[in-house]
Amino acid sequence: MDTARLTLETFYRGAEADLFRSNVDPWKAVLKRRVRKGYRHESLDDSIRRERTLSEATLLHEAKAAGARVPSVIGIEVETNTIVMTQIDGVVARDCLDAMSPNDSMELFRSLGAQIGLIHTAGIVHGDLTTSNVIVTASGTPFIVDFGMARRSNNPEDRGVDLHLLQRSISTSHRRDVPPLLKALARGYRETAGEKVFQSSWAKAREIARRGRYFAIR
Amino acid sequence: MLCLGIESTAHTFGASVVEDDERIITNVNSTYRPPAGMGIHPRKASEHHAGIADSIMEKAILSPDGGQLDPDVIAYSAGPGLGPCLRIGATVARAISSFLKKPLVPVHHGVAHLDIAMSLGQVHDPLAVLVSGGHTSILVHMGKRWRVYGETQDITLGNILDMFAREAKLPAPGGLSIENLAKKGSRLLRLPYTVKGNDVAYSGLLTAAISQLNHRAAVEDVCFSLQEIAFSMLSEAVERSLVQTRRKEVLLAGGVAANTHLKEMIRSVAEDHGASFYSIPLQYSGDCGAQIAFSGSLAFAHDMKVSNENSHVIPRWRMDEVDVPWIPRD
Repeated sequence: MDTARLTLETFYRGAEADLFRSNVDPWKAVLKRRVRKGYRHESLDDSIRRERTLSEATLLHEAKAAGARVPSVIGIEVETNTIVMTQIDGVVARDCLDAMSPNDSMELFRSLGAQIGLIHTAGIVHGDLTTSNVIVTASGTPFIVDFGMARRSNNPEDRGVDLHLLQRSISTSHRRDVPPLLKALARGYRETAGEKVFQSSWAKAREIARRGRYFAIR
Repeated sequence: MLCLGIESTAHTFGASVVEDDERIITNVNSTYRPPAGMGIHPRKASEHHAGIADSIMEKAILSPDGGQLDPDVIAYSAGPGLGPCLRIGATVARAISSFLKKPLVPVHHGVAHLDIAMSLGQVHDPLAVLVSGGHTSILVHMGKRWRVYGETQDITLGNILDMFAREAKLPAPGGLSIENLAKKGSRLLRLPYTVKGNDVAYSGLLTAAISQLNHRAAVEDVCFSLQEIAFSMLSEAVERSLVQTRRKEVLLAGGVAANTHLKEMIRSVAEDHGASFYSIPLQYSGDCGAQIAFSGSLAFAHDMKVSNENSHVIPRWRMDEVDVPWIPRD
């Protein structure tokens, strides 16, 4: 689609893209534009940006079809590595988790677990699952956003990476006890993913965590 | 307060006396160099350390004004590292501690890399990027400890550079040889770029780079591509970490921080996100006694000493298993 005529209002600079708010009648829209990264070699940068833009749009669409709460794709503009999608009204979990009551945060993670389970059983892995990529609406419902690193995969290894990273994003960014949140997450995940996928994903997540260096041999 | 620090985790035996965590008075190091084309043999390295220890210690306690320094605390690198090497440093530390009747403080080598960098750069609460032969980790301090946000799932950045340099028969130090050759390369070869979540994995890249070499790609281009890919993977993980953890400072430390190209890439990531950047100066980037002495000073100020009987070495010891109550710094 042609985004040149849209009025853009910058509202967030992420790790790999700039986000703008706009209106694409009848939707409140978000434009995600992947910008050139100065530290990367130009040809490497070009191919990374294009590949991720295309796969993000496709996988958002597939996740939606699988019943997951994610933004809807309105259109893409390949030339500028831009995706236009519907805006999700809410607060990023990175910003609201620490202020939530223990009960609310457990409920959020149970519900988030169910969403991740849906995506995983649809054969999609997110690739950058952190509290920065979860938007919580006023009613406390989580939406998963940013499928820039997402891939099609039915490999427990890739599902384990998602769970491992989510856990790390809590332990490095939130003053919260991690185990109870993970327990709630597991409960929700099991509900939608089923016992088999649940077992294989969580076993891998534990294994991945132990690949790091200098774990004592036990 | 004077702290004597003894480093002995891998190829370097070093000793240093520092005043509090502020001033380096002496810093004397000797590095075991394996024969060309070979890696570090733990026993050979430990024999080097045992042979050189007395002369290093003598020089380290020699005051610049000619007298002898009288340390109040003896710190040693307790891990992680090669068992035979660690035991030499620990043995020397125990001997000096019991002879002088001064307290003994165990230090985590990786934590020490960050401590010396934070002291020299006056860094407070950074996103820390530790790149060396032993570590490739992205860390933030939370609660009482460093927490890992990303790390290598297989070999470290120091490993891939060293191992490639050996395969390519480049002169030691391998990292420097690769950096210099890379400046003459320009063609970006297709090599695997592996970022998993916020972790990196370098073993596939190493295999592919060696294979390119065996298929007669120009060594300059392979060095150039190896650096570009390996450093881009890390930079991307650093950038994601910075966005998630929202730190306002980025700290680069460890032996591979000597690489100018890597330094510029991480600096660019930091500046893109309005964070300040500090990299450990070249002379203290590699393993050295001073890092142990700095960290020992800070640990002693928090009463983290051990008795002689409990002064073990810990060859496998993670950064996130150590209490570091002195961070964030004032």
